[in-house]
Amino acid sequence: MPTDSIVTRSLTKSYGSLTALDSFDLAVEQGSIFGLLGPNGAGKTTLIRILTTLMRQSSGEASIEGLDIGRYGREIRCMIGVVSQENSLDRYLTARENLELHARLHGMNKRSYKGRIDDLLELMGLAGRQHDFPDTFSGGMQRRLVIARALVHQPRVLFLDEPTTGLDPQSRRAVWEYVRSLAGSMTIFLTTHYLEEAEQLCNRIAIMDHGRMIAIGSTQELKDRLSGATVYEIEFTGDGADRYAALLGSMSCVNNISQMHNKITVTLECWECLSEIVTALDGAPVRRISLQERTLEDVFISLTGEKVRE
Amino acid sequence: MLQGTLAIWQRDMLILRRSITSELVAVVAYPLTIYLAFGIGMQGYIGLVDGAPYSMFIAPGLITMTAVSAAYNESVWSLWFHRRVQFTIESYRVTPISVSEIVIAKILTGFTHGIIKGCAVGLVIFAITPFRFPLEHLFYYLLFLVPGSALFSCAGIISGTVMDKPETIGKVEAVLVMPLIFMSGLFFPLSSYPPGILSWVRALPTTALFEGARRILVAGELQPISLFQVAGSAVVAFVAAVVIFRRKMAE
Repeated sequence: MPTDSIVTRSLTKSYGSLTALDSFDLAVEQGSIFGLLGPNGAGKTTLIRILTTLMRQSSGEASIEGLDIGRYGREIRCMIGVVSQENSLDRYLTARENLELHARLHGMNKRSYKGRIDDLLELMGLAGRQHDFPDTFSGGMQRRLVIARALVHQPRVLFLDEPTTGLDPQSRRAVWEYVRSLAGSMTIFLTTHYLEEAEQLCNRIAIMDHGRMIAIGSTQELKDRLSGATVYEIEFTGDGADRYAALLGSMSCVNNISQMHNKITVTLECWECLSEIVTALDGAPVRRISLQERTLEDVFISLTGEKVRE
Repeated sequence: MLQGTLAIWQRDMLILRRSITSELVAVVAYPLTIYLAFGIGMQGYIGLVDGAPYSMFIAPGLITMTAVSAAYNESVWSLWFHRRVQFTIESYRVTPISVSEIVIAKILTGFTHGIIKGCAVGLVIFAITPFRFPLEHLFYYLLFLVPGSALFSCAGIISGTVMDKPETIGKVEAVLVMPLIFMSGLFFPLSSYPPGILSWVRALPTTALFEGARRILVAGELQPISLFQVAGSAVVAFVAAVVIFRRKMAE
């Protein structure tokens, strides 16, 4: 039976009167890819800094692989890898030297890290550039090098704090592939602003805001939680849309309706209402009726609101 | 315990080795210019100072100034850059090494820069000028230079830790560090100060360093009180640097 790799209980962090993390409870299963979403200032980075022992909590408990973060900081840092938001590569060291320094900081000797670094450079597609300085790399290559650095000591838990921010779509997909290839061999804790990234990679996703967890589950579970409402798009031929928009809008099972040219989007109370709609449209010049899938972004916006955060 | 310190110090020495030529050219140029301009150019006007030719009087101070300035500058800028620009300090902190290991490594790096650059300037002055001293004085001179460089390296670490803006670092150097060096009798004898000020100036660890280093190198007079003053200040600065850096990292 899988056990939990990361656990927090009532974890709280306050800066004066500001509560960045508010009684945060979390359990991340060993070997899973867990995604944490939230708007700017939601508390994601505070949480990751506490879990990686860079910051102390104000109250509550947290453990990594069963070890309390307050008491076993050194032991925890031995078994975690961290890819921070900032590109923290040493620009005065070559790619290989960056990895070697990290290995030495983990107490590895040359015999044990040499082969490991060769493998990682190969895996990340950087073997041919290992003696070059990171400043000469593209953004995607630098990010891959940061990930390689976090993997040198074969961590059991990998923290990825917005690992693909600022990358082009090709580089982003390459990073996704590397992350996917690691799945199962270690627990991966990912924060991201890219909802597609979370949807593509994560087994479970949590959404947090104002320091609190507001939803957790698989992508499908989160979409299902959005509401029982179902959204359909009805496309008309000719000018039928104008006539039928008024008719559909007057029906009790229609919660919301909007029109764009010859397309009407209706939000129904439940999918069973569709038969009433089809009956009402009998004889109408309908070209197509299609179900609109709810996206993770819909869920995110519905839970955290549309207001832009500072 | 010190595996992290060693790894970071070795990293810093690798960078120094790569740029040693340009570093030394830059670091030798300034004190050598001062030596030529003041020591040689002004010698005829100034004559003897404390019984020694003026060029002889300022040479030990220039070597000491080079060493401590290099120690301070390396520590302050390196720590600020790694903390605020390159974020490498943060990448060190998620490894098993302690915060103390990081700060001790950075102090050692600043100290090493100071000693190497001070020695380089000393060798150049020795090679191209008539400045000479008995070789046995050199050992005792190093007794001053070692804690002096450590003191300024720790001071640089403290500045690089508490200051987040580069312009503030420059201001502190202009308002505090350079006046402390120049007030310590680098270019003139301490007897030039009015008696009321002299006791204050003598209390400064920089005065103990520059005056003690000159007296031992030129005249072979060891001043144990000055030596203890410099060493004691270095120990206090070391403890302060470690504590301040640890506190900053805990914020």
